[in-house]
Amino acid sequence: MGGCACSHHAVSPALERVTVVANEQVATGVGLVVFEAPRTAAEVLPGQFVHIRIAEGTSFILRRPFSVHRVRGGRIEILYQVVGVGTRALAEAGPGTVMDLVGPLGHGWEIPEGAAHALLVAGGLGAAPLGMLAEELARRGVAVTVAAGAPSEKRLLARELFEEVARRVELATDDGSCGTTGLVTGVCESLLDDEALDVVYTCGPEPMQRIVAAQAAAAGISCQVSLERLMACGIGACLSCVVPTTDGLMRACVDGPVFDAASVVWESAERVPEHSS
Amino acid sequence: MTQSVDMSVTLAGLRLRSPVLTASGTFASGREFADFIDLERLGAVVTKGVSLEPWEGNRGPRIAETASGMLNSIGLQNPGVEAFCATDLVWLAEIEVPVIVNVSGHSADEYAAVIERLEREPGISAYEINISCPNVDAGGMAFGTACAPAERVTRACRSATSRPLIVKLSPNVTNITEIARAVESAGADAVSLINTLLGMAIDARTFRPRLARIVGGLSGPAVKPVALRMVWQVANAVDVPVIGMGGIADAEDAVEFMLAGATAVSVGTANFVDPTSAIRITDGLAEFCRARSIPRVAELTGALRT
Repeated sequence: MGGCACSHHAVSPALERVTVVANEQVATGVGLVVFEAPRTAAEVLPGQFVHIRIAEGTSFILRRPFSVHRVRGGRIEILYQVVGVGTRALAEAGPGTVMDLVGPLGHGWEIPEGAAHALLVAGGLGAAPLGMLAEELARRGVAVTVAAGAPSEKRLLARELFEEVARRVELATDDGSCGTTGLVTGVCESLLDDEALDVVYTCGPEPMQRIVAAQAAAAGISCQVSLERLMACGIGACLSCVVPTTDGLMRACVDGPVFDAASVVWESAERVPEHSS
Repeated sequence: MTQSVDMSVTLAGLRLRSPVLTASGTFASGREFADFIDLERLGAVVTKGVSLEPWEGNRGPRIAETASGMLNSIGLQNPGVEAFCATDLVWLAEIEVPVIVNVSGHSADEYAAVIERLEREPGISAYEINISCPNVDAGGMAFGTACAPAERVTRACRSATSRPLIVKLSPNVTNITEIARAVESAGADAVSLINTLLGMAIDARTFRPRLARIVGGLSGPAVKPVALRMVWQVANAVDVPVIGMGGIADAEDAVEFMLAGATAVSVGTANFVDPTSAIRITDGLAEFCRARSIPRVAELTGALRT
């Protein structure tokens, strides 16, 4: 493997039968499920996702995409928010439940050659794909600063992971129960002033990512965003999940979910899809 | 007991090694599925719709999941016939599988122009004319919901090629057999059905439609009874072979379509759910015949006992 995540080529996706090892609520409405998934665990790159068939023969037929939060040995960990019928069924899956997934999928985070200091900006469940990235950056000796925001302290995710690997963690909550009162974008703005950064990574609600991308651009720092779209196949065939970019329509499932923020043609806020699956 | 089943079928003069095809728009040109299945075991690859110029498709959200199915309003996004010839056809040329190119247009002339361009390419076994897409404003379904325009498009395509011509029919009509007869009389060598059913989904919490385009095409197991009924009606109304599709998710579904009169079947939405679906269904179909000592899968076609 070279010095850059992009030189570690993503392997072909495969179907893998996986078994739930643990599944617990970790914050209000948010669960962490651990799967025994040796192939995926060995191959997944930070920022990639898996497409899980949560139940067969039910009234909902499509798989659900989830980014991989962390890998531990032959196991993958997924943070999910209970928002609809699919994630509700996932929340009810106890240890021993077998599902199948397609993965690893998508284009993940890239670590630019020579990057010495990275800022990770997480909004709510956006912490999910940033977990593996924070660990990978730390492993490579890249200094990590994290800005994480949530409605309240109880809904801050991956705090322990970030505090373990990051040099600096700044938190923001809407209700002021932890860290700065207000939005994580405010924290991001001051960190961009404060720190000598080489790259910004962000994931969270799309309006938030758009602001972070603009802040990074204003500071002259490259920024990568991870965009969420409703998708059917997850492998590039159905064209459900397209994202407008300066290079035309790109598929979030294979060309993304991580995009160079400068290439994204942002859609107006009211067009950001509601996720209810 | 281990005697092998003859899985080949003859469709519009084409000898196919299996009756299981892929439904247009659910399989791209097959490349994305090559990690999961052996494309050479398919009866044919039916490509995503190709138009004369590149089409952007509709804005998102483009899909919505519904009970036992999904709505889509992709809008036939495709890079146009030139790019299709330069990339997808080149890639498919390396694969030993019949290629059926799905063709779209805004006018009868445009359909014919796409075919004229494709006529210069080797390695195309047949065309499937899409007169049934519910997700484009001009053309698409507008051609497939009345006899006269359906006939006109079919005739224009017919005069552009001597390759087999399949016309894909819309279920969004009062009487599908009239349209089937119209395209048969205009020179179609086969008909395929059903395309998606026009539908809609609303998010009660936001008071908004779930699709940006408000309406879209329903597919998946939810549509299967409607599709079976229409395949049965059309198979009894025309002499040309029928390719049946609509919610096929397992081998028994495929058997049911053949019993209703389909010569071949297409797997669509199931490709999204399980990328190995088409081959799983092929294997299951062979096993179904073997277990019942049916020597040729083609014997299932129209074998419904009423």
